[in-house]
Amino acid sequence: MKHFLTKILVFSLPIVAVAMFMEVLLRNIPNDYLYKKDFLDNHAAEVENLILGSSHAYYGLNPEYFSDNTFNASHISQSIDYDYELLKKYKDQLEGLKTIVLPISYFTLFERLEKGPESWRVKNYTIYYEINSSKSITSYSEVLANQLKINMQRLVEYYRFNNSAITSSSLGWGTSFNSENARDLIKTGKNTAIKHSVENMTSQKHQKIFDDNLETLNLILQWGESNDVEVLLFTPPAFKTYRRNLNNKQLTKTIKATKAICAKYQNCTYENLLSDKNFVAKDFYDADHLSEIGAKKLSRLIDEKITELK
Amino acid sequence: MLFNSIDFAIFLPTVFLLYWLIPNKNIKLQNLLIVAASYVFYGWWDWRFLSLIIFSTIVDYTVGIKLKNEENQSKRKVLLWTSILVNLGFLGFFKYYNFFLENFITAFSFFGTEIKANTLIIVLPVGISFYTFQTLSYTIDVYKRKLKPTKDIIAFSAFVSFFPQLVAGPIERATNLLPQFYRKRNFNYLKATDGARQILWGLFKKIVIADNCAEFANQIFSNSADMNGSTLALGALFFTFQIYGDFSGYSDIAIGTARLFGFDLMRNFAFPYFSRDMAEFWRRWHISLSTWFRDYLYIPLGGSRGGTWMKVRNTFIIFIVSGFWHGANWTFIAWGALNAIYFLPLLLTHKNRKHLEIVAQGKYLPTLQELFLMLITFGLTVFAWIFFRAENIGHAFNYISGVLSPSFFEFPDFANKKRALITLILIGVFLLIEWSGREQEFAIEKLGMKWKPALRYSMYYGIIIAIFWFGGKQQEFIYFQF
Repeated sequence: MKHFLTKILVFSLPIVAVAMFMEVLLRNIPNDYLYKKDFLDNHAAEVENLILGSSHAYYGLNPEYFSDNTFNASHISQSIDYDYELLKKYKDQLEGLKTIVLPISYFTLFERLEKGPESWRVKNYTIYYEINSSKSITSYSEVLANQLKINMQRLVEYYRFNNSAITSSSLGWGTSFNSENARDLIKTGKNTAIKHSVENMTSQKHQKIFDDNLETLNLILQWGESNDVEVLLFTPPAFKTYRRNLNNKQLTKTIKATKAICAKYQNCTYENLLSDKNFVAKDFYDADHLSEIGAKKLSRLIDEKITELK
Repeated sequence: MLFNSIDFAIFLPTVFLLYWLIPNKNIKLQNLLIVAASYVFYGWWDWRFLSLIIFSTIVDYTVGIKLKNEENQSKRKVLLWTSILVNLGFLGFFKYYNFFLENFITAFSFFGTEIKANTLIIVLPVGISFYTFQTLSYTIDVYKRKLKPTKDIIAFSAFVSFFPQLVAGPIERATNLLPQFYRKRNFNYLKATDGARQILWGLFKKIVIADNCAEFANQIFSNSADMNGSTLALGALFFTFQIYGDFSGYSDIAIGTARLFGFDLMRNFAFPYFSRDMAEFWRRWHISLSTWFRDYLYIPLGGSRGGTWMKVRNTFIIFIVSGFWHGANWTFIAWGALNAIYFLPLLLTHKNRKHLEIVAQGKYLPTLQELFLMLITFGLTVFAWIFFRAENIGHAFNYISGVLSPSFFEFPDFANKKRALITLILIGVFLLIEWSGREQEFAIEKLGMKWKPALRYSMYYGIIIAIFWFGGKQQEFIYFQF
């Protein structure tokens, strides 16, 4: 027994040592989560418009084009439960908050970060935002959350080539979806629509996620109401190749539920911009994300809506 | 708790240390620890369903004791049927209630009668098909007087709930596993290192092979209507390796874990994709289930002793029931029936026991004939897996017609082709290792044993690096849903 344990320990020691060393190195790489956390820690009181949501908001809403102090606290694949967690974390510091801008995309009510293929991103909330709502141990470690291959690439990118992992502007807008590198709108439209469509919408699992998300949205709206904060919900614009491949039932259910819940609150406004004609091919980076050109357009549009709410 | 999770990586060493640190290796305390650990392991998913395991344990323990004292044959039969009905009753309710209800409604509506009945939202308790069959083997063996009933409720509870094989097998026989709970277990270094190696190989199969294949199999099967024939064929191939890596990987981890605690579980897979005919395949695939059905269903039905009609009937029964065991869906029944069709010609021509020895034993390469037979058998298996993976029968037929369409000759077209290519290379390497180790119980059992320790340990580190490097997105084990 002793011999076995010694061997196992000696065998495991290099693995544990390397893993710990990597963990330290990975956590030292500057990233969007750490940056946004630092920003909110220091400037939350100055924020008047807070943008939450997933990549549709991250790439689509540039705070520079807003009239009031605006910060984009969205992240790629951020689901509504993490929007709420962020709000909860900073609720006492957001003293000047007037509006919350939250996208309700085609998939928003059917996804939860922790239950989807992007669940590895949960560690960013536990490690950098210190939101400890995850029960999975892997969500508390950089090394365990990702493949070794990806972690090695990140280490090489930063420590060898000095490339930071920050892809957002100083106000939190995602800068990397540039119109010059736009992707094929036909191909991405179909593939992304399929990826965003739930296989069996009425299954117990998806119904539970839907109900939970609606409940979370309810909590956000309640918080807004009790703190005199407007909540602007919007369905972001998407290119026709994406729209054509959506499951109509899923889309209808999402829009119907959003309209219904929004109607219950005085402080809530909902805008469906999915097929908005202002957005043309050159505004898109891919079929469901805006480029910097489209982001300027959408940001100004949302800013106008916020002004109307005043 | 998943074997391929960090939770288990903490759970296993903790239980292992506690188990072997028990003073004087006291069997009762060790068994008690196994029961407690197994309940924690199972409760990690859903504590509510522990009550089912405990109830099954109490029923079968009591039935066992009563069977010992009962000489009256009819009363013994009543006791046996009590156990069967309780166990299969749970299984039937949780797994098949909605299936039967929906099919009754469809059948009656076909004849113009409309039945109003609502299906229930039933969560399937993890591993119910496995532990139900395991505990049934105890009652049946006690009834047949092949096994003395136990008076030790802790040992019996440990037998029913033994965590390494509780949720996905191997489905142990009471005659093999239960007596091991009575014997004193002393730590055996060789057995433990062997177990650790088997766990490592199981993790490789699951995380590197199965999880990577799953990504493509899921993508292709979910969007099969939009895929060309060659992509669909590739999807079926990915699923073929996914299910093997997933299930045999689980079995390896289970057997290896049991070894760490001084237990020997039965073998569940014996390199099935190197089979030369379907009869050999079924001797090498999910052995614990195949032999369970052979001993408790096929032989009691008369086996292959009767005339041709009886052989045909029994073969279809065993394969269809075996298919249905996997889930309440016509696809599994079709999969079972298809395998019966594959198997029958061999049985009727008395060629079902032609390939009993290991293929190309003692040689590096198979003969051309062996290679040809292996490829044919493998092709038939891949074809059958389409039914197993499809959402419904219609989906399976559409999938097959897609494969057989002229678009089969087009280039495969799906997302992440570069990763798919890497996965195919990994499958190739995996097959080479499996081939080289096919005479052992698991592929790396003896691999590197004659090498210098530094080289051997480098190989183990290499496997660990591969697990972390190529590890696909964590997926649940497929067989948990059964």
